[in-house]
Amino acid sequence: MSYKKVERMTSFMRVNHWIVAICMVAAVITGLYIGHPYYQSFIADPAATKYVMAWNRWIHFMAAIIFDVSSIVVAYLYFFSRFEKAYKKLIPTLTNIKEFGAVLFNLLTLNRVKKFDSSHADSFNAVFFFIFHMMLVWMLLTGLQLYVHGLGSGLSAIGEWWPAMLHLATDWTVAVTGGTFMDVRISHHYTMYAILVWVMFHVYYQIWRTIFWSEGDIGIVVSGTKFVKE
Amino acid sequence: MVERREALAKMFSAKGVKVDTNRGEEYYDSLMKTMTKRLDELEKSPAASRASIQNLLESEGVTRRDFMKWASATCAALMLPSSFTPLIAQAAELMNRVPIIWLELQDCAGNSEAILRSDAPTIDELLLEIISLEFHETLMVAAGHQAEGQLANAMETFKGKYLCVVEGSIPMGAGKEWCTVGAKGETFEEHLRHVAKDAAALVAVGTCATFGGVPAASPNPTGAVGVQDVITGKPIINIPACPANPANITGTILHFVLTGQVPELDHLNRPKFDFGYRIHDNCERRAHFDAGEFVEEWGDKGAQNNFCLYKMGCKGPMTFNNCSIVRYNEGVNWPIGAGHGCIGCSEPQFWDKYAQERPMADTHFKAPTGGVEKSVDEFGLGLLTAAGIGIGIHAVSSIIAGKKEGDE
Ligand code: HEM
Ligand code: SF4
Repeated sequence: MSYKKVERMTSFMRVNHWIVAICMVAAVITGLYIGHPYYQSFIADPAATKYVMAWNRWIHFMAAIIFDVSSIVVAYLYFFSRFEKAYKKLIPTLTNIKEFGAVLFNLLTLNRVKKFDSSHADSFNAVFFFIFHMMLVWMLLTGLQLYVHGLGSGLSAIGEWWPAMLHLATDWTVAVTGGTFMDVRISHHYTMYAILVWVMFHVYYQIWRTIFWSEGDIGIVVSGTKFVKE
Repeated sequence: MVERREALAKMFSAKGVKVDTNRGEEYYDSLMKTMTKRLDELEKSPAASRASIQNLLESEGVTRRDFMKWASATCAALMLPSSFTPLIAQAAELMNRVPIIWLELQDCAGNSEAILRSDAPTIDELLLEIISLEFHETLMVAAGHQAEGQLANAMETFKGKYLCVVEGSIPMGAGKEWCTVGAKGETFEEHLRHVAKDAAALVAVGTCATFGGVPAASPNPTGAVGVQDVITGKPIINIPACPANPANITGTILHFVLTGQVPELDHLNRPKFDFGYRIHDNCERRAHFDAGEFVEEWGDKGAQNNFCLYKMGCKGPMTFNNCSIVRYNEGVNWPIGAGHGCIGCSEPQFWDKYAQERPMADTHFKAPTGGVEKSVDEFGLGLLTAAGIGIGIHAVSSIIAGKKEGDE
């Protein structure tokens, strides 16, 4: 039996993947600290020389800004990528729904009925990642809403347009989550857990695929390629 | 659903929280003209009450110099240039020209108390004494039909001119007829609608009158709501907090005296000059927050060293109010200064969502799935465990029964 090498992720996509993964870990670690500071600063030092909470928030926001940029790029690629336009797999056409069903069915029946083409990103994958991107966007919107509260003067280091834009883009999250700023915060925190569940399943599914499909799927995110039978 | 949609519509039309502290010379020149004209008119109108601020200040031993110092501080608080100070002083002297009807609905009367009970009243509090209180349910001597007669009289005489100050929430749910006022037994809702009809504007004072406050806390047995949920088509100014700061009440009334208009409001109808910034941004303990120095337990070393109260549940980071600048009781102190975290009392639904002595992450809320109240982390860990079990089952059954590509 011979195998053919197929390209699945461009080098840009792979770099993006690992940046997002690192940012995610950073955002979770620092986010949990912000929510409930779980270690103490060195009490002997004066407050002016240690910025433990401030650094945690700094890292959280830096991870957030990188997310911002990455999400905008990914959203762009959904439609305009020269490699694979993800939106084509998202539209609920008959072929896509069938493919989605077939992949899910195979997962649930422990790889007994693998009746789909696994050489390209399938519909199940596309939907799965779309959910992730939606959750990220939600984190961005709620996070930026929490962030803009600190800019009460309407000023920022980069001008007035920044808080004004954030208000326009995120004020609606307050109404949607329940009407108070605290609801936004609660939602931001809950969504973190939803993302963690997603990550658990994501990692598991990649390993499972690698073992059971025997097509070297795990390599996609490292070398950009996998192998399919000819 | 309808409420949600309304809130959403309101959000989209939100004016944002931007606080514009410099609007340019042209704006202030024209404002100065408007105010001077208005004050001149007021000056000519008959005093609605005979109390005058001069006499009162004299009898309390407050000097003219103190009064002018207060005027310049208030000028700054209203975010006006210092050239407006004489106008503020003049407006204070004319506060007795603006008639006020003060309603007391479902609450603890804490806002009236906050103004009346201080042993060394500030000028703000004294001013509230000389405003022309035509009718105040808690304070007046009259009762029964006599009181109602007074109310009718005041409403008739000052039709369309009086400010209606409301303290307390309005029960709208089942059993609202148990809350009645006066000899005719009007329900609170009827009473409010009746008085609001001919008012120039409504000032909701305290969190109960603005957002329902403590009476509206879950499960809200009386269906309590704030003034803005009952009255439409009238300018409404919200001055939340529990109790509302007398400085903010005076500031708002002064603004009305000066301009005849309501001040610039945020999306919750709160004056921006009072509620434009978070507690957290002007908090004296903020350095300790950034340093990660927290009080871990009441009375511990951190508490003795004035560390940040975030881990004791301080909600300063989510609360818009000026307590950290204005403080209470002539700037003597305020909750965080006294060692207790902010409970977010000027935000909607504060009792359910803010007023706990632990950070949000450790607070027990109703979980999204309903049922027993859990903290966000407990719910989240439950979710992760469930996912872990699911994955475990799938993995084990895959190993036992799964079929690899190629095995036949
Ligand atoms: C996957 C990504 C993210 C995760 C897992 C995450 C997680 C968290 C958590 C757990 C909290 C603590 C909430 C609490 O209990 O009080 C938090 C706070 C916060 N997050 Fe995120 N977050 C993420 C992305 C973002 C993004 C994109 C932004 C955008 C700026 C952001 C901004 C904030 C802000 C402003 C706070 C409140 C911090 C403060 O006021 O000091 N987060 N985050
Ligand atoms: S005490 Fe409260 S308002 Fe002050 S810095 Fe700490 S969290 Fe912020």
